[in-house]
Amino acid sequence: MPDHKHNKKFLERLHAQFGQDIDAEILVEIAKHMEDCPDCKIYVDSVKQTVKIYRTTEKEKSVPEDVSKRLFKTLKLKRYSP
Amino acid sequence: MAKAGEKWAIAEIVSRESGRVYNLALKLLQNKEDAEDVLQETFLIFINKVQSFRGESSLSTWLFRVTTNVALNKMRAKELIDKDISIHDPDFESLKGYEIRNWPIHPEDEMDEKAFQDCLKVAMNALSEDYRIVFVLRDLEGMSTKETSSLLKISESNVKVRLMRARLLLRDQLAIKLKCVEKRYNARS
Repeated sequence: MPDHKHNKKFLERLHAQFGQDIDAEILVEIAKHMEDCPDCKIYVDSVKQTVKIYRTTEKEKSVPEDVSKRLFKTLKLKRYSP
Repeated sequence: MAKAGEKWAIAEIVSRESGRVYNLALKLLQNKEDAEDVLQETFLIFINKVQSFRGESSLSTWLFRVTTNVALNKMRAKELIDKDISIHDPDFESLKGYEIRNWPIHPEDEMDEKAFQDCLKVAMNALSEDYRIVFVLRDLEGMSTKETSSLLKISESNVKVRLMRARLLLRDQLAIKLKCVEKRYNARS
């Protein structure tokens, strides 16, 4: 990454834009900067996409049958069919 | 001792909420046996405290917090987290990462599905627990920085730094597999 603005503070700002921890003014500043900086654009796109991939691929798994059986046994509860 | 009707109601709740509790524990711990332990302990706590549950937060929010705390305690018992006091200092090490070139538009199409899933899993497992917890709570479960900070009892700036590092480490693992690493760089502190 080039040296100009890519210090830790700037990276923190880039990351903050993925969540809700940043105000609109800084968001505009970052968007403007990325128009002229392909390195920053790749950085943001790649990190953003990584997060998105994990969000979409971390599928909810149902509790395995044997795990569920042991849970109800431990809790001394009966399993009711829906 | 719970009455029959209460037991039935509790069993209903356990059936309904156990999937969410188990999945959260699995994401945090990346280990099926540990996730099962957390599942059982969480609902044992629930049964012990159900009479005093005041409904100040929703039941699923309450269970989410208990699950996270039980998982954290498990990690602490194994000394997997908080093992290095200096990690609480957000500046303990400069932020590192790889410089990337030609990042594909659809990384998931660059290799077969199984290889891609394995790559994601390996990268997640390679994250230290301190980073993984923050990534799971913030990016996968959608908690705010403030909520995460309060739950983990670390500063908000520490949450942000850990999250940045977690994202970068995961991205870098993916980049290595996708062969689009240019070089390693260090961000100036």
